[in-house]
Amino acid sequence: MSNYLDLSIQEINKLLKEKQIKPIDLVNECFDRIEKNKDLNAFITLDKENAIKKAIELEGKEVDNPLFGIPIALKDNIITKDLRTTCASRMLENFIPIYNATVVKKLIEKNMIIIGKCNMDEFAMGSTSRTSYFGAPLNPWNKERVSGGSSGGSVVAVASRQIPLTLGSDTGGSIRQPSSYCGVVGMKPTYGRVSRYGLVPYASSLDQIGPVSRNVYENALLLNIIAGKDELDLTSSRKEVEDYTRLIGEDIKGMKIAVPNYFMSDIVDKEIKDKVNEIIELLKEKGATIDYIDIDFIENAVTIYQIIVMAEASSNLARFDGIRYGYSCENPKDMEDLYKRTRQEGFGTEVKRRIMVGSYLLSGENANVYYNKALQIRDDLKKSFEKAFEKYDLIIGPNATTVAYGINAKLDDPRQTFFDDALVMPTNMAGLPGMNVPIGFNNENMPIGLQIIGNSFEEAKMYKLAAFIEKELNLNLDPRGENNG
Amino acid sequence: MNKLSREEVEHVAHLARISLEENEIEKYQIDLKMLMDDVDKIKDIKNYDEEMLITPVSHKAELRKDEVGEMLDYKEAMKNVPRSNGNFVEVPVMINE
Repeated sequence: MSNYLDLSIQEINKLLKEKQIKPIDLVNECFDRIEKNKDLNAFITLDKENAIKKAIELEGKEVDNPLFGIPIALKDNIITKDLRTTCASRMLENFIPIYNATVVKKLIEKNMIIIGKCNMDEFAMGSTSRTSYFGAPLNPWNKERVSGGSSGGSVVAVASRQIPLTLGSDTGGSIRQPSSYCGVVGMKPTYGRVSRYGLVPYASSLDQIGPVSRNVYENALLLNIIAGKDELDLTSSRKEVEDYTRLIGEDIKGMKIAVPNYFMSDIVDKEIKDKVNEIIELLKEKGATIDYIDIDFIENAVTIYQIIVMAEASSNLARFDGIRYGYSCENPKDMEDLYKRTRQEGFGTEVKRRIMVGSYLLSGENANVYYNKALQIRDDLKKSFEKAFEKYDLIIGPNATTVAYGINAKLDDPRQTFFDDALVMPTNMAGLPGMNVPIGFNNENMPIGLQIIGNSFEEAKMYKLAAFIEKELNLNLDPRGENNG
Repeated sequence: MNKLSREEVEHVAHLARISLEENEIEKYQIDLKMLMDDVDKIKDIKNYDEEMLITPVSHKAELRKDEVGEMLDYKEAMKNVPRSNGNFVEVPVMINE
């Protein structure tokens, strides 16, 4: 079997242009790798037949863009016409969407080849992907550890080199935290940068689709094609889409960077802080200025996140009623019975827990006590970030408080999943873009990631810093046996 | 251990339109209490002002023109319906004679 998928996207693009390889070579190789990595459980549904058909169709077409003919897979909460979309839930186990999400249309327009749908936490609720109805994906660096979540499958597929690019979604860190656990580059763009049309909603004011990749440049290439205004998503922005690769390779001298004190507090493992400190020293040495700052309300992000996310989830998931699509219980005796048993049997424990608490938080006077208050503090947190961005280009810190933990660890506390994302959810609250770039390994050879937060719509600047760090460190991020040095 | 009463769990389950098995009720008495204690921390946070952030978009909401656009094919729209009868979506009887 060939190893074209180990080449960079630019190299593959050159070979396709020169007709030294065909898209079908990439598709065959991709499915071969997926077969060999079955045990990692990164995929829920594969679409081999249509992927092959599409690859053959492309043979007659001109290679007109950098992502032409490149295989891609999507988190299974992004809907795909005629291709099963489950949200990793029994509720949608047999759901076949009748239209494409806007991002899917964009991938098809650029002639990317959709290979299949990636595993995830059920309805994106979780930080380990263990709430998946189809079983958890495994971390390719150590198969006894979690992948992180909720975009676990999207991240594992890229980390294990089954596929070069995937899309994930990020509501409170669901792209960045697993990217940190598995050693890949993951970007949550500014809220409104990428259309959410066709993303099954979890918490609508926080959800955002974003790219997962092996390296920074390829991540920016994918953002280039999925970003932009969509008439079908009111919250998508008209702000012009720029070339997100344009600042990659530029010097970082003079960049003003802030580190929130909270990000380097006792809640973060020492080994992770040490690694981040090494990066801080490196950046200083290369001419960036680094200041430690306080961001008011950042330590309250978990509390306001819990309230907003559970409230919005309970409202969004009210649509699953057993009537129009999805799972429906047997022999319902009346409407009430239909709703209640369908939801009991169709949803998993984590989802039910969040919907119940969310319904409680929105009922009667509670809406004022909890939800409205959370929105007030959310506004204050956003203002604190705005204040920081008056002075600084970027904010950095760790992405996760720990490295990936054991596949059976920390299962008892229903709050754990929120604590896991304590450092990444503040950006979702403020709608800011955030990303993960790998910066090394702990003493057990588990990946550690750096979080980079930008001001709204300043993804290009984030890619610039990330690419600089990536080049300086030159890490081997390939977990496969002999290639792993 | 600190936990919600059965009635409290049954109440929130009803709000969420979810039936619970006996063993589930016991588990949720503890789980939901932990989460509710956590969100209660909001009461102690002092905010700057009353202004709320409902969605982090800064642009003005624009509505589409109210005109007929692309429509779903009828058969397609019915494809995922669990119970149907001809052209109708079927639900349990709602009104008894």
